[in-house]
Amino acid sequence: MKKLIGILSSILFFSVASQAQELANMSQFEQGQQIYQANCTLCHMDSGSGSPPIFLALNGNEQLADATRIITNIKQGSGAMPAFPGLDADEIAALATYIRNAWTNSFGEVTVAEVTSTLDGFEEGLKIASVWDGVYTEAQAQRGQILYSGTCGSCHGRRLNGAPEDPDMGSTPPLARARFLRVWEGRSLATLFEYTRVTMPSDNPTSLTDEEFIDVIAYMLSVGGMPIGTNELEPDTQTLARILIQQSQ
Amino acid sequence: MTKKNDDTRDETKSHDDKTLSRRDFVKTGAVAGLGATSLLESGNTNAQSSPSNENIQWDYEVDVIIAGGGCAGLTAAIRARDLGASVMVVDQNYDLGGRMLHSGSFTSLGGGDPVQVRDINGESDTEGFITVPSAEDPKELEDTIDLLFTDITDWSVVDPKAQSPYRYNDRGLVRAWAENCPATRQFLIDNYVRFARISGTHGGGGLSRARGSRCFFMLGEKTDIKAGTITPEDAGVADYERTSAFAPVQMMDASRLVGPGAVMNGAALSRPLEYSAREKGVQFMLHRHFDEVIRENPFSGRILGVSAHYSPRQHPDNGELMQSYWQNGNVDERRQTIHIRARRSVILASGGHAGNPEVRSMFYPAMREPAFPTSGVALQGPHGQDASALIAGLKVGANLAGMQQNISYPTTFHIAPRLGTRDAYTTMMPGHPTFGFRGSAGINVGSVGFEEFIAVNQVGKRFFNEVRLPARPSPSRYPGADGGSPGRGLDHKPLDWRNCRKEWVREMYNYDHGLDAALALNEGSEAPDYYSGPIWAIFDQDAVERTGWEVRYPYIADNGYSFKADSIEELAQKIAKGHEFQRVPLKYLTETVETWNRYVDAGKDPEFEREVDAPMNQIVKPPFYALSIMVIWHDSYGGLRVNGRQQVLDMRGQVIPGLYAGGEAVGGFNKHGLGKGHVHGYIAGTHAVEDVSA
Repeated sequence: MKKLIGILSSILFFSVASQAQELANMSQFEQGQQIYQANCTLCHMDSGSGSPPIFLALNGNEQLADATRIITNIKQGSGAMPAFPGLDADEIAALATYIRNAWTNSFGEVTVAEVTSTLDGFEEGLKIASVWDGVYTEAQAQRGQILYSGTCGSCHGRRLNGAPEDPDMGSTPPLARARFLRVWEGRSLATLFEYTRVTMPSDNPTSLTDEEFIDVIAYMLSVGGMPIGTNELEPDTQTLARILIQQSQ
Repeated sequence: MTKKNDDTRDETKSHDDKTLSRRDFVKTGAVAGLGATSLLESGNTNAQSSPSNENIQWDYEVDVIIAGGGCAGLTAAIRARDLGASVMVVDQNYDLGGRMLHSGSFTSLGGGDPVQVRDINGESDTEGFITVPSAEDPKELEDTIDLLFTDITDWSVVDPKAQSPYRYNDRGLVRAWAENCPATRQFLIDNYVRFARISGTHGGGGLSRARGSRCFFMLGEKTDIKAGTITPEDAGVADYERTSAFAPVQMMDASRLVGPGAVMNGAALSRPLEYSAREKGVQFMLHRHFDEVIRENPFSGRILGVSAHYSPRQHPDNGELMQSYWQNGNVDERRQTIHIRARRSVILASGGHAGNPEVRSMFYPAMREPAFPTSGVALQGPHGQDASALIAGLKVGANLAGMQQNISYPTTFHIAPRLGTRDAYTTMMPGHPTFGFRGSAGINVGSVGFEEFIAVNQVGKRFFNEVRLPARPSPSRYPGADGGSPGRGLDHKPLDWRNCRKEWVREMYNYDHGLDAALALNEGSEAPDYYSGPIWAIFDQDAVERTGWEVRYPYIADNGYSFKADSIEELAQKIAKGHEFQRVPLKYLTETVETWNRYVDAGKDPEFEREVDAPMNQIVKPPFYALSIMVIWHDSYGGLRVNGRQQVLDMRGQVIPGLYAGGEAVGGFNKHGLGKGHVHGYIAGTHAVEDVSA
């Protein structure tokens, strides 16, 4: 529960005390809805419609009948979906209950006991890191800058502010600074990596290699002022899932 | 600074004709081989008000005269020259290229053109510059003239503004265009133009296939058209705050569509064509504004030639006559008005009407507001896009076409996300000789930047939800992110009634009307003109810190388009005093900012519901800033009516003998950009040479 409070307070800007009180009064379904909105709507949409074929629809998805599958996918990821190792059994139970019963779905509750028994035997997570912990190297960001300039910059702008130089092109999402953090704060680098990998560049998705995508992300972090470290960021989703995008302290 | 209520501004400082040398260059004097009898044989009974043109003293004589040296004009000039004609291009500007020079060079053709075929086969270009694989799947490149023709007359496509971009296109005109696309692509390649991989399609180019390609150079030690290389300095990439006389706009990284070291934009299209035209012996008379087409009789007979007046552009810093990048082939003529005879024909390629507020009012009366310019205004000068072809054509009886089609291209006019400059469409930087005319490059804040300020009208009142103000519906294009048609590309079923069914149109409709709100009447709109006045982005130092905007030269300058003050009152006074189109005081600005700050406190904006779209920030920390927000009228789609040979037609549907037109001077073809102009030029250049005088 502590962890949930932490995540929600950082995302929703509520004070911890009032949040705790609110959560205590909240049903499992309502808790699940908050977790869903903070973590899942980027791809699966608030309406649960997803964006097929890239992002699976959850509304009306018969596969949700299999609770074990939901629990496993949230904990360790599946295909393009990143893992959410920061969620504990209570939170996974709430989230699974929400998606199984939201919209037109009616697949029944998932209990904490069910989650705990499914997760029994899973390797316990490593510690959760932040993008401010020095998670990429300078050389990596420089490689990323070259790639960015050729592949991303024409749409996202030389300043990564979503303003393309070609005035015939419309604006795009910013990839650094306050406006980027507003969308991405609280999400993991695995979510950013997977989302970028399957959607970008929009006219030819997946045309970069995983290594190239992660270099571009390193460049984005460097423009955002996140510090360099001694090790390169690796395109390994299990590791990336444990690095959270946050405001600077 | 004196206030101006109209756009009669002329950047040209006074000059003394007597001090200018007059050159006798290919001067031919009187008309050769043209008898008075032939001139009068198609006599017109309405001619009494204007005498027939038998006694004109011709100053020059060539086979083909071309008004305007942009994408249609340069292409026509080379084509006519290739076919053996003597060709003279007159252009009002000091240099060639028109809008093509500051464009992105996205040239959408198709119909199985040579670049589509090359990319289907995954081949490199003949010089071997292209080292990346094709950007599009072969299936998306397999194209035919019939499919292209179907696409660009597809009545069923409705765009996200609920307008229909294709259904009003003139069928004869676009059939000829489609048939000439493959040959025009090859023609451009043959004249030193290098095309990158095809990626998508430009607006108006059809939805079924990928057809658009940009033009590139390779970075190298010298700028050499034949070798295909350009220096980083000339490309504007050595220093991002400097561009060159060669390429006014910074060239873009083309590594994804060509390979490492490639750069692309309109300079890689315009300069090669200009170089080739000069090499082939086309003559250029610059600083010369084409005024009138001269016909045997006012509304009958052949076209004989043109009159044109001296329109010198003087350097903004030193007042000297500006010089074109290359000189060979230039005719230095400085007399006020001259007459040039065309033995075969005249081609009007002098652009559209986007820079002429009076003509614009035909399409949208509120756009008569002269505060808002056309794109590239510093580069083209006060006479750019001034409807000269349309005006001259009407005087000799031409018909017009596509007059509603300005409205059915979603970005004909739009609010630019580049603030703090009148010339809000380009990225031209210091280093280009016309930079002084814009004075500042502007700050490109993108659409999301509009969350960071409040936008006010000429009396200092907010008028729209700022976040939604710059939203532009995307043109129907393939494979754009939200391409305005059901499905994309290969999934698009041309001529399917479901494309325009009501339910789909409602689903995709995304026009916010912010531009229209910006042009609305307000308390400062006074009779008889009721101008809506300029609009301003108002923000504080906190916004600068949130966004990292570079509020310094060359992005802003003391040119009347950006202001900074320690209080809102002072800011309002500075704007009123310092901006050329600010006709009334911003008397509500202080109150507006106070009200806004209260809304931020309350977390609710009852006027425009800003809280729904983005966090709201107070405007409290000095210094305070005001940057101009520009409405830009970019394209022209209504214009002279022409047939498939680009011959101008009169009101009875008859060809006006010897008169051709292309590019933005013509109407009836709702296609954005260069692909239209080049093919028009190619067709016009071909037939203009065949045309023989009476």
